[in-house]
Amino acid sequence: MKSLGGGLLLATLLAVAGFLVVPHLILAAPLEPVMGVVQKIFYFHVPCSIMLFAGTFVCAAGSLAFLFKGSERGDRLALAGGELGVLFGAFALVTGPLWGRKAWGVYWQWDARLTTALLLFLILVAYLLARKYGGPGGRKLAAALGLFAAVDVPLVYKSVDIWRTIHPKTTVVRTLDPAMRPAFWASFVLIAIVFGVLLTLRMRLEAARAQLAELRLEAEDLMEAQRS
Amino acid sequence: MKLRPAPLLILVRILTVIIAIAAPALALALEPGFEKVEGPIADNVPAVPFVGIAYGVIWLGVLIYVLVVARGLARVNADLAELRRKLDGAGAPRT
Repeated sequence: MKSLGGGLLLATLLAVAGFLVVPHLILAAPLEPVMGVVQKIFYFHVPCSIMLFAGTFVCAAGSLAFLFKGSERGDRLALAGGELGVLFGAFALVTGPLWGRKAWGVYWQWDARLTTALLLFLILVAYLLARKYGGPGGRKLAAALGLFAAVDVPLVYKSVDIWRTIHPKTTVVRTLDPAMRPAFWASFVLIAIVFGVLLTLRMRLEAARAQLAELRLEAEDLMEAQRS
Repeated sequence: MKLRPAPLLILVRILTVIIAIAAPALALALEPGFEKVEGPIADNVPAVPFVGIAYGVIWLGVLIYVLVVARGLARVNADLAELRRKLDGAGAPRT
């Protein structure tokens, strides 16, 4: 904890407090008349899906900076965003089918929203794989995939309006019952804080790795100079 | 001269029309259909465990991710400190 900055420490404390408070708000929110208790998955499924989009946009922004300006910091940001996109995408893809099993009677449906969201998740997985196993040009290839993933986000979001689907529409948050709003927004803020904390931590890890690599090069140079 | 149908004939015609209209409904009513539920309504897909699993998956995932990143940070920081110590010992300029 000593290495954490003030802002990061405060955000971590807020996340812990949120973890204790938000479940109470979700339990206190009124039941949806058709779906009942299972609709409460909505309170964390939707924020996780939004964080999947956020992770993708962060990855794309970092990739842009890396591709066009050669920014190493941008590359680290892209990696952190891509990883968090996969993490929160996995959460959305696990919680959604659990809700669907009760609401639709099946875990999975090749519905436009579900399919495009799965595609986005797979593009981000491909981004991480290209970085890890893509060889010398892997980072650039991955950055291109990061940009491609960002193009998929509006398609995922608007899919429920463009095609006929069984997934709830984009208006679901706007038209939410006022009694359900505190639980939703508290949950959203909590998950956004968690996303921010994880992003900062992940970027710190990459910065430390870059520093270590630089120092190793310096040590090798020094050893070379001492030998000769 | 126009003959008026007998009242009995009119009644027979009306009954025939009613039976023709009602026959499909009667046939459906005789077939076995939905059965009434005995006792309290049982839901075969319980919702509460699904909500619990969904919530648990998220927090477990976050916890595992934090642990992995924290472990990575601790290892890299230890390597950095060790390397700095060696470089200082070798008399390298501090970066």
